[in-house]
Amino acid sequence: MMRFAPAILSVAVTLGAAFAYFWFLRVPAIRNHPALYLAGFALGAVIAAAAVWRSARWPNIAALALSVALLVLGAYFNFVFARLPAAGAVLKVGEAAPDFTLPDAAGAAVTLASFRDQRPVVLVFYRGYW
Amino acid sequence: MQILAISPDPNERSQTLAQKLRARYRFLADRDLAVTRRYGLVHSRGGPSGEDVPIPTTVVLDRRGVVRWLKVADNYQVRPDPADVARAARGL
Repeated sequence: MMRFAPAILSVAVTLGAAFAYFWFLRVPAIRNHPALYLAGFALGAVIAAAAVWRSARWPNIAALALSVALLVLGAYFNFVFARLPAAGAVLKVGEAAPDFTLPDAAGAAVTLASFRDQRPVVLVFYRGYW
Repeated sequence: MQILAISPDPNERSQTLAQKLRARYRFLADRDLAVTRRYGLVHSRGGPSGEDVPIPTTVVLDRRGVVRWLKVADNYQVRPDPADVARAARGL
């Protein structure tokens, strides 16, 4: 069993990185650094690669395959799939935001300008549920 | 400070979310993305079935309606830290 301790460690680091990222999704310091899970996958791959180099037995090879697969998928997700285009040049710090009127959850019309001279406003544009 | 959360979600869905989060947000429905488009914040065909979706963005306006702080996401996993938003809105 101890012979495969590096393979077990590699799998633990790899899966641990994935679970920890989801577990701490509501912690901004974790969520906003998705490169952390990639670093975990890379560390898992390095440990497994060292184990395979010492002994090309199947548990070591399986650990290497798992960590490399997650590293490739994770990198694709983070660097390609999750990327967003740049916004159009409408909003600029120091310039007025365009006024609008939209219905709220109760159906009542809300106009941005109605908050003028009342209080500061935070606009949160979000993608919504799907 | 007034938080206005804007999405293409129908109002019923936002109402459920508001109750779940017990948020002091006001959820505004921009069903056809007309306002989001006017703000230059549409990710064209960015949705799972190729529909247009908003680019996640947080904007802090002062009492005169002037933009004082702005964060446009370039990766949808990343969203502003609420503490940073609160800091930006403090004293406006």
